[in-house]
Amino acid sequence: MTAILQIFRQALWIPVALASVGLFALMVLTFADVVMRSAFNAPIEAATELIRIAMAIIVFSALPMLGWRDEHISVDLLDGVFQRLRLARIRDGVIQIVCGVILFFPADRIVDLAERARSFGDLTEYLAIPTFYVAWFIAIMTFAAAAVMVLRGLVTLFRPSLLSEFSNK
Amino acid sequence: MTASLIGFGAVLVLVLLRMPIAFAMGLVGLLGFMMETNWRAAISMAGRLVIDTAQDYGLSIVPLFILMGLFVNKGGISRELYQVSNAFLGHMKGGLAMATIVACGGFAAISGSSLATAATMSKVAMPEMRKYGYSDSLSTASIAAGGTLGILIPPSVILVIYGLLTETSIGQLFIAGIVPGALGILLYMVAVQLSIWRNPAAGPAGPRTDWPERIAALKGVWAVLLLFFLVIGGLYGVLDVWPIYLTFSPTEAAGMGAMGAFLIAVFRGRLSLKDIREVLTETTLTTASLFAVLIGAWIFSNFVNIAGLPEALRSLVADMGLSPWMVMAMILAIYILLGMVFESLSMLLLTVPIFFPLVTSLGFDPVWFGIVVVVVVEISLITPPVGLNVFILRGVVGDVSTGTIFRGVTPFWLMDIVRLAILLAAPGVVLFLPSMM
Amino acid sequence: QETLNISTWLPPNHPINVDMFGGLVEMMEEATDGAVTGELVMGLAPPPAQMDLIMDGAADLSIIFHGYQPGRFVGTKLIELPGYEGSAEAASVAYWRVFEEHLADLNEHRGVKVIALTTHGPAQVHSNQEVKTLDDLDGLKTRLPGGVATDVANELGMVGIQVPAPKVYETLDSGAADAVTMNMGERIGFKLNEVAKNVYEMPGGFYRGSFAVIMSQERFDSLPEDVQAALEENVFGEPASRMMGQAWDASDARATEATMAAEDNVIVTASEEDQARFAEIAEMVIGNVLAELEEAGVDAQAAHEMVQQEMDAAVTN
Ligand code: NA
Ligand code: NA
Repeated sequence: MTAILQIFRQALWIPVALASVGLFALMVLTFADVVMRSAFNAPIEAATELIRIAMAIIVFSALPMLGWRDEHISVDLLDGVFQRLRLARIRDGVIQIVCGVILFFPADRIVDLAERARSFGDLTEYLAIPTFYVAWFIAIMTFAAAAVMVLRGLVTLFRPSLLSEFSNK
Repeated sequence: MTASLIGFGAVLVLVLLRMPIAFAMGLVGLLGFMMETNWRAAISMAGRLVIDTAQDYGLSIVPLFILMGLFVNKGGISRELYQVSNAFLGHMKGGLAMATIVACGGFAAISGSSLATAATMSKVAMPEMRKYGYSDSLSTASIAAGGTLGILIPPSVILVIYGLLTETSIGQLFIAGIVPGALGILLYMVAVQLSIWRNPAAGPAGPRTDWPERIAALKGVWAVLLLFFLVIGGLYGVLDVWPIYLTFSPTEAAGMGAMGAFLIAVFRGRLSLKDIREVLTETTLTTASLFAVLIGAWIFSNFVNIAGLPEALRSLVADMGLSPWMVMAMILAIYILLGMVFESLSMLLLTVPIFFPLVTSLGFDPVWFGIVVVVVVEISLITPPVGLNVFILRGVVGDVSTGTIFRGVTPFWLMDIVRLAILLAAPGVVLFLPSMM
Repeated sequence: QETLNISTWLPPNHPINVDMFGGLVEMMEEATDGAVTGELVMGLAPPPAQMDLIMDGAADLSIIFHGYQPGRFVGTKLIELPGYEGSAEAASVAYWRVFEEHLADLNEHRGVKVIALTTHGPAQVHSNQEVKTLDDLDGLKTRLPGGVATDVANELGMVGIQVPAPKVYETLDSGAADAVTMNMGERIGFKLNEVAKNVYEMPGGFYRGSFAVIMSQERFDSLPEDVQAALEENVFGEPASRMMGQAWDASDARATEATMAAEDNVIVTASEEDQARFAEIAEMVIGNVLAELEEAGVDAQAAHEMVQQEMDAAVTN
């Protein structure tokens, strides 16, 4: 079990690495676009659509890791109360599972929307990249994030000891 | 109206159960939208928002500004900022605390986040103030309060998100934040003096620095000045002169700033590959969490929109015969109350979809309202019982109680209220700079 | 009484919201004796998402701009071509007639019901620097909406900058773009009198812009049959298209007047010589687009000729 979790946790870094590369590319692309435009009056026409794709990669590659680390923005106002009542762990586990389950629905819908875009032949303006690739990527990463959150919730509820072994830091 | 209020209540409950804000707003928005239409419509709307928000060109400004702040931080600029302001102010009574405020303002000019500003400055300024015998209460309070400037002085992630949610010009919002931000620095310095006046032992004078040393210290901050000048100058056409002709949109300014901060840090030899990896990872995770919240807020806002809340609020106000300023006063009171328990972003996301249409229909300027909202959001960061900046200080410093910090913050909090009153009484303070551009 | 939710992505005071959707609601109310009305819902989703919203019933009615979805719409480029002479009203009426005859079979709007088609008035070049000749357009960094506009701009050497509509003002203001192409009417909503004080006008326009008003088929089918018939007979199709075209013309006229009244704004009309040169360039664009249409299975030449014929006919009947 521990070994599987170990591999799983390492695997979560792969999309994060992808997101980091995407982010660096985004920075360089924005910079290059401005420089090309200002110095040579030749902006990179495809910059906008590449930036849009980079954004999707950045946001959705990081989503599973965010779920696993339980780092979604939340309000911990009543943490003290829950801890006193010894309900904090149960609450966290249940909420994580609920959130994971919620995510399956839009993910599933995004697959339909992606396929619809494919059937209509939607393309990006300059590079004519089919838009359904990006939508499929978003769907897959959302599914992954959903699965990770459910898993994390189950671990929190039933094997909390594993969590401390794999503390976030 | 009823449906929206129930929805709002449901979000509050879920959020207090520690459901992530993104999920609470998304779930309630989805179910609410479903009640108004049907499941297929609601889930399709949500799915489309996920796809489109993730690929919004304008939103690329968010990771780029976060990236810039983190690169700058790795470049060690925060320490140098503090050294400079200390060289000029340190010899006065309460001088180190005032230097802290000014350094926070300087850091705010390159960082988009209040929490980052407070966290960074606490590592630099706290040991110095302790060394010279400043009371814990005054030193922590000046950092916690000074840190709130991070989201008012441009660049600001909160202003970006307000601009995106309301389709208000981000460039205008940024420039509108400058004067209220400077006013904030001044008033916080007054707050320091008030604290000293009440308890002279809290902030003794530090050693005097002579002019050659001051000049030498100034050289340490060229990078900050350069970056701020690049970002803000490029944004407002100051750099559109021979022979550079640089102008850019807010998004591009963020890209230039990030690249500039990266190059400066590399140039100073302060950036290892590991640092770069850490900065990139942290930025992507923060970005993803912000986007999740934005998408949730959008779904919720679509629900209250289709449930007819904006229109209902408008007619309610009209029926009750309230004047626009009475409505504004009520809205601000609600903000101060919410500010007791909520942190900045959640508060903004929960309230803007509801209040913004009402406020603009009453004839208030969207840029002005954005700045006012950010000021009240700043206040929330140091308002008990839940003040995030105070908690950050408590976390970083360790051996100070939350109560001590909140006590020290009181004069700063009062100055915030003074500033809010000034912005309400004289909207021109906010609007004259943008109107000149 | 049935209230149709009209999803709109345009700013509140845009002629599409005020005059066109306003006009459409009036026409529907009148035709059905008040059985059907409509209500605007702002900002549900960005423009390219609108067709999905309607297909899945998140709203009942919406407007789409075909240029925002490259790859999906080819036939609709026909009405965007430069070289037609006549008002937006004439073009919109002609558009509907030609659509029924030649374009509907392409089935590009599958999944939704098309209830009106329209094109805005002739698009011109609005710039923050002097543009007096066709040659001045070469290298001009210009925000383009997609569709035929991009084809024309490429031929003229203009450099495309992709900016969403709400960002047009600050992009021009900051100088990140030199120009934008739009019909005259948009000068008001986008405050172009402040940031693009120069208009370079090509009689007949550099291109036009194609819109469709779409409705959820399911929602339409849910209406009582007599109501359906009344809408089909008196509102949907040519009547609504004509009304929208008229609204475009009126907004163009208002904006032209305001631009001429603003002392620091100039409208430069292309010289005879440049008009002739542009006509040649337009021929190339037309040839390319008609070939695209032909490939998609449209009798392109016949359809193209029919547009001008019907535009001429539309103003007389
Ligand atoms: Na800032
Ligand atoms: Na608070």
